[in-house]
Amino acid sequence: MKLLSIENNLGLYLGETGQYKPVDKITKEDLLRLVNLTLREDVEFDVYDENAIKNQAHQIVYKSVFEKLRGLKDRKKEFVDESERLYLKEYERYREDSSKKKV
Amino acid sequence: MKKIDLHIHTVPGISDGEFVFCLDAFKRYVSETGLDAVAVTNHNIFDAAQFRTIKETLGITVFPGMEVDLERGHLLIISDGSNLEDFESRASLVSQKITKIGDVISVEEMEKIFGDLKSYLIIPHYDKEPSIPGQTIEKIKPYISAGEVDSTKKFIRAIKDDAKLTPVLFSDIRISNDLTDLPTRQTFVDCGDLTLDAIKSCLRDKAKVTLSEKDGNKLWQIFPDGQKLSTGLNILLGERSTGKTYTLNKISSTVGNVKYIKQFSLVQQDEEAYEREFKNDIQRKRSNFVDEYLSGLKNVLDSIMSIDLVVNNRQIEEYLFTLLKSAEDTDRRDAFSKTALFDEVEFPVGQTQTLCELIGSVRQVIENIEYKEIIEKHLVPESLKRLICELIKLLWDKALENKKKKLVNEVVKDIKQHLNLRTSAIQVKDVDLYKVSMDIKRVERFTEIINFLKREAVVFEESIQGFRVEAKKEPFAGPGEIKEVSHVKTAFSDAFKKYEDPYKYLRALLSNESLTRSELYKLFVKIGYRILNKDGFEVSGGERSEFRLVQEIMDAQNYDVLLIDEPESSFDNLFLKSDVNQILKEISESMPVVVVTHNSTVGASVGANYLLFANKGQQDGKVVYRIFSGYPTDKNLFSADGKSISSHGIVMDSLEAGIDAYDSRRQGYEAIKH
Repeated sequence: MKLLSIENNLGLYLGETGQYKPVDKITKEDLLRLVNLTLREDVEFDVYDENAIKNQAHQIVYKSVFEKLRGLKDRKKEFVDESERLYLKEYERYREDSSKKKV
Repeated sequence: MKKIDLHIHTVPGISDGEFVFCLDAFKRYVSETGLDAVAVTNHNIFDAAQFRTIKETLGITVFPGMEVDLERGHLLIISDGSNLEDFESRASLVSQKITKIGDVISVEEMEKIFGDLKSYLIIPHYDKEPSIPGQTIEKIKPYISAGEVDSTKKFIRAIKDDAKLTPVLFSDIRISNDLTDLPTRQTFVDCGDLTLDAIKSCLRDKAKVTLSEKDGNKLWQIFPDGQKLSTGLNILLGERSTGKTYTLNKISSTVGNVKYIKQFSLVQQDEEAYEREFKNDIQRKRSNFVDEYLSGLKNVLDSIMSIDLVVNNRQIEEYLFTLLKSAEDTDRRDAFSKTALFDEVEFPVGQTQTLCELIGSVRQVIENIEYKEIIEKHLVPESLKRLICELIKLLWDKALENKKKKLVNEVVKDIKQHLNLRTSAIQVKDVDLYKVSMDIKRVERFTEIINFLKREAVVFEESIQGFRVEAKKEPFAGPGEIKEVSHVKTAFSDAFKKYEDPYKYLRALLSNESLTRSELYKLFVKIGYRILNKDGFEVSGGERSEFRLVQEIMDAQNYDVLLIDEPESSFDNLFLKSDVNQILKEISESMPVVVVTHNSTVGASVGANYLLFANKGQQDGKVVYRIFSGYPTDKNLFSADGKSISSHGIVMDSLEAGIDAYDSRRQGYEAIKH
């Protein structure tokens, strides 16, 4: 699934409906959705290329979003793991205990 | 009654200091102290040849023995001497095992070396260092006849306590060629023949073991000339310069571990310095309390210190200004300012603190052992475990969500910054109104807390023998007081101007770089200590001395003997009679006490167990110092060299300034009364 794409000198992102939209319309909710997709799915992006995007505002937005999402994709496992390490020991111990007795 | 000393050294061991044994000194010790039986007990050594010489020379019962290093303590093992060769060969096995400091033998090894331990007299160091540990005592209990102690006080304590071994007090002396002062630590046993078996059977019966020949455990010998003291309360009377203080000093050096409250030691000339020292002393002892009391404030301060209301206000102003400005400029927008992210605000990131605390609490309920029964009566452990698992999973979700939002916020911020550089349009500055409002609430609460804290109140009270120590909180009265508490050489006058507004005061303190942040909690409220008398008023100089005296006497519990030189030199009669007398009486139940006094309130009303009278007399043209002593009900008191003196005369002279003065004073009182 391609989240960021460059077409006709424009920077585009994958909208909620599956349509690509210009990046100057991207909101923070859109960004969060892209983050979720990056963590869940196998995603890809068109590499940022200054010459391929004419609009300077698009350049700024595309470059920043691209770099962040690519970084996230590379460290996706670590990103999720870090939050699940909280109280992991207790979780595993009690999960085992409670399921044992339940039987 | 037979006087015995079964702990004597004649050969220096590895842990002893060097000394040269002297047979004549041994003879002198035995004859001058009137001993009936002794034992030679060197550290892990038995010198048979020397023992034979000693036995032949002394002419009293001498037992062969040894002081063994047994499992971290010392123990006397004494043989009846019937088979000296056998004891010698067994003892040499101990010597082979203990060749350097730190070597010990175990109970099992001792049993192996000496065979049947029941045939020996076994006496462990009991209330004496290095003592045999309790577990080892249990192991060898069937063989033990008595336990050695090193003071009269410990002897009395053990003899009164049914759960304790029969105590014995021995000299532990080194018989050296420079022996001068003979020890007075020996024990009397009520036994006919002085065989080892007879002594063993006596020692197993506490009634047959005493500190004195005729007076049971009421008296004990203090000086080599035979002078005795009561094991309870002794009153030492006498005119000026008759050797009373000299006697106290001598007792002090003989016993060693004494609590000696010297004359006037509790009264000080420099009242101000004394008061400061007195307060510091009290404060030091109770500083833990203050730390604990203010620990809550410490936590509050930690979170308040990071709040800067001025910065928060500026952010709001900036937000409003940019918002209005950007509304005005809508028609001037370019490609950069038209992007959706240009005025985007960041995602608020929720806190997981409450959830974490909840998980911690559930875990406490699950893991608590003390109240397990009650908890399980009401809650099923399995459901609790399922609950905690669900909460933890929720925490993971929240944590992940927060992480994602933080990441998005970073992107938004980054893009906004870049767009802003390229446009002339005004970007709306973001402000976290939630945080700003929360900060205001926090500061309000902090102000309330500090104002509560500043209200005058007693926060700690402790009663000590009629006095009351109280810690009172109140606001600081001036910058000087704050400086004193801070222990930092810096000015507080500017900060103090804002003292009425706790938050502003805190900011002022924070701006002072010489102050440590973690110590600031001490600078909000003054905690002062006061000692109050029975009537609830702050104590006077004299009463402070009384308080000190009471504390000092209480402290005597940690010593073997308590000596007090003229308590009346600093105190009034009422205090002496009501408090000091009572405490002295109480403490003398558990340890020997010697009080030097001229005061009839102490001397006559305290209910002494033994009376001593120091006297300076003339004999053959020379000055002779004597101590006459006896029970308070005795008609006459006797000196160690057999002289006697009338008790009544002494008491009248020492406490009432003579019979005539006493009579005239009594008549005077009678006249007033009528």
